[in-house]
Amino acid sequence: MLKILFEKTAAREGIRADALAVGFRPGLVFLPSAKLPGLELALALKHRFKGEEGDVLTILTPAGWLVAVGMDVEEDQDEATLRRIGSSLFAELCDGGIEHLAVALDLGPDDAAELAYGMALRAWKPAAKYRSKPDPDDDWSLTSVTIVTDHPKAARRRFERLQAVAEAVVYARDLVVAPANQLTPQVFSDRLADLFTLGVSIEILDAKALAKQGLNLLLAVGQGSVHPPLLAVLRWNGGKKNEAPLAFVGKGITFDTGGLCIKDEEDMGEMKGDMGGAATVAGLIRVLASRKAKVNAVGVLAIAENMVSGSAQRPGDVVVGYNGKTVEVIDTDAEGRLVLADALAWTAANCKPSLMVDLATLTGAVEEALGKKRAGLFCNDDALADKLFEAGEEEEELLWRLPLTDLYDDDLKSLIADIRSCSWDDHAPDHIHAARFLQHFVPDGLPWAHLDIAGTSEAGEEDEGDEPITGPGPTAFGIRLLDRLIEDMAQLDEEE
Amino acid sequence: MKISFAKPALPAEGALVVGVFEGKALTPAAVKADVAAGGQIARAIAASRFEGKKDQSLLLQAPAGLDASRLLLVGLGKAEDFDAQAAEALGGNIVAQLSTANDATVTIALDGLEASPLTHAEAAAAVALGGRLRSYRFDKYRTKEKKEDKPSLKKLVLTLESHSEAKKLFADQDLVVDGVFLTRDLASEPANVIYPESLAEVAKSLAELGLEVEVLGEKQMKKLGMGALLGVGQGSARDSQLVTLRWNGGDKDEAPVAFVGKGVTFDSGGISIKPAGNMEDMKWDMGGSAVVIGLMKALALRKAKANVVGVVGLVENMPSGTAQRPGDVVTSMSGQTIEVINTDAEGRLVLADALWYTQEQFKPKAIVDLATLTGAIIISLGSHFAGLFSNDDELSEKLTAAGKHVGEKLWRMPVDDPYDKMIKSEIADMKNVGEGGAGSVTAAMFLKRFIKDGTKWAHLDIAGVTWAKADKPVVPKGATAFGVRLLDRLVADNYEQK
Repeated sequence: MLKILFEKTAAREGIRADALAVGFRPGLVFLPSAKLPGLELALALKHRFKGEEGDVLTILTPAGWLVAVGMDVEEDQDEATLRRIGSSLFAELCDGGIEHLAVALDLGPDDAAELAYGMALRAWKPAAKYRSKPDPDDDWSLTSVTIVTDHPKAARRRFERLQAVAEAVVYARDLVVAPANQLTPQVFSDRLADLFTLGVSIEILDAKALAKQGLNLLLAVGQGSVHPPLLAVLRWNGGKKNEAPLAFVGKGITFDTGGLCIKDEEDMGEMKGDMGGAATVAGLIRVLASRKAKVNAVGVLAIAENMVSGSAQRPGDVVVGYNGKTVEVIDTDAEGRLVLADALAWTAANCKPSLMVDLATLTGAVEEALGKKRAGLFCNDDALADKLFEAGEEEEELLWRLPLTDLYDDDLKSLIADIRSCSWDDHAPDHIHAARFLQHFVPDGLPWAHLDIAGTSEAGEEDEGDEPITGPGPTAFGIRLLDRLIEDMAQLDEEE
Repeated sequence: MKISFAKPALPAEGALVVGVFEGKALTPAAVKADVAAGGQIARAIAASRFEGKKDQSLLLQAPAGLDASRLLLVGLGKAEDFDAQAAEALGGNIVAQLSTANDATVTIALDGLEASPLTHAEAAAAVALGGRLRSYRFDKYRTKEKKEDKPSLKKLVLTLESHSEAKKLFADQDLVVDGVFLTRDLASEPANVIYPESLAEVAKSLAELGLEVEVLGEKQMKKLGMGALLGVGQGSARDSQLVTLRWNGGDKDEAPVAFVGKGVTFDSGGISIKPAGNMEDMKWDMGGSAVVIGLMKALALRKAKANVVGVVGLVENMPSGTAQRPGDVVTSMSGQTIEVINTDAEGRLVLADALWYTQEQFKPKAIVDLATLTGAIIISLGSHFAGLFSNDDELSEKLTAAGKHVGEKLWRMPVDDPYDKMIKSEIADMKNVGEGGAGSVTAAMFLKRFIKDGTKWAHLDIAGVTWAKADKPVVPKGATAFGVRLLDRLVADNYEQK
């Protein structure tokens, strides 16, 4: 884990920084800390570095390694810009041999904390524990960063709040990257026990309980696997005693083969990550607990493995969902909406939330529509949709609202049951169908949003140079934006 | 089909249509007919499941006591919900139901609408509009159609007290439908009949309505540097064309509003050839240009008080020894270079030059392009919405509002920076396709690079809405002409002098 410190000067007792990062504004305007004799000389050698935002140039001067960092034109930089600079600074320097970096960008305490946050969000690698021998490349050379600011104490205070989020992001990313043979539904629920120490209460509905309560859709998806499905309920009660909780529901398919409608090999490779929504929900509850948020929240994770076997569900099966609606299962690979349908109906009935947001790596179609830059937002409430959209813009977890209307209901008509799970048409707007399907399991009048994060939950090699702030790998998409939403809503409440 | 408006009277022949509100509440006309028919209507309703709900109807053949050959009871739904769209749908459904019923004349009696948001005249005009829109047929290539399969309906009569007001209201809409029908004809015509030069001829024929029409051939386009458009057409034996239609109904010095259409008269995909299944649909890959031509006809017919320019880029995309290849780099009229990765992403190449030409030539105050551009928009939104991409919130809202009024719905999609890097090319200024999904967004991002700073622009991706696979109330299966009514309304509401 990267160590981040805030100090008044770059020099620290016992540790000598190997490199010093200093800042510029566009047009090669030197910030005060950048006015170093060696650097002016070095930059005079016609480097391409012009101090534009995001430019980073590492040069060896007689005084040691200097890192020139381009900052925004504005004096008051927004949070997102500082985070981006922190993230790209880390990416640039993490494995070049530098161990201790000092950053002197003439930043106030809040800005220093935001920069550090950007670094912390980027500083993640898949845990090395899956190798038999440690690979030297698994560790970065960079182990500590000292950020210089006038008010280190204030910076530390601000960073503490942000670090709670960064740590939860790491927590969720670790869950997503875990191989499916080492993160079965049971192991997933065991790992949630970590949250207990933070004050989160945990309830697990095992297969027996699911059958008793009638979550048959969740059971049907899991019935082909030897690892039975379960529903994990995480409760953080930091708010007033009788206040209705905010509910967050996540799709947790620990591996998705597609079932009998088995996936092509190239589509199956990343399917250990089909529990990204559930990981985000777990991460979000972790943030709320570790920052002792004054809010009641419940996270519900619908966890199952979708396998092919003699006991797997078949296309055409009809299943009675928790809310009594009958579903004709069309494509067994459209399984996420089945587990969510039960989880949403169960949550609405048992937790009586004031609002409900679900996250799911649900459809390939949403990636056809929005690519990897924005997640699909479907919502039955304009005010909630606006809040989510805004929170996403601020946190750079971008959303785009897509239609949720009865116009598409004809496509979900079943000949023999109340509804069918999808249409067979390859060119159908399956993400819209999925969202509309889910709406049939959400009670009228409950503000609800569905985030289809299939396109945004992981950044691959193809995103090189155009990555999200978290860099390559799982993004834990949604933790930051939902934490922001909750904070914004709490603030509104206070103002009222 | 002829449409007329007349005073209320029971018809001496043909079919009579009367309305019933939800809850079996008969309109005065229905009561009158019931009295004349000796209570048959009330009995028929009592014996059926007809309740007067929207989309319900009940047909009585040869009702005793009436001269009409048949009587159709139509559900009007709730009076307060009977708006323009409901009235249009009603007209469409009536025509669909009675078009082959063996009557030449259908009389629709409209009254009792006091609780509806529409006046009787507005309602009658909307019913007439819906009826005429639904009556469209493209049957010129049927040589042996049996008589009983042909429509019998020749005349639609709407009876109401305020018939002369209704007639006036309908007059302009009737002309817009003329534009809609031209667009539907053009999109329905096969590609061996409609190709760039023949489509340009159709545009030229509109000069008689007072439109200024100019046609540029390949030579002239080459001179202008339209390498992107010409590259698409170079595989075809047909010459490419760029057609401009101007309607100057506004003040002399006022900048026009511009509409630009993609007109790929047949899209085989080129060297990146399409799969065989459904390739025949690609005859309507000129749907955007057909909308622009039909729209210009409508504006000229109704003498719109606005300056409007329509520009269509017409090409045929064919594989051949002279076709452009994946990897080719072409220089557009704007000077920007494009690496053609996929020759089947050709619409944006045509539009790139057409958009630039339009801005250079006319400095429009707003520019809206229409194109059957991407398959991705069909997956993104299905067939209930067209994709709207725009750099201007106000223009977007105007378009969305106009679409809502006429039942041609738009859904706004992103066209912003996060997507810009997706069309970065290794060797040219940009490439014509991106990877990693969002195919409609990257197409729009591509077009945006050909929009000058400060130009208000919107792009409508109509690939999912240009051809209807099934009948809808005011759109029979086939070419929809989606966009003509929407843009006519946009002009009427925002750009015409009052």
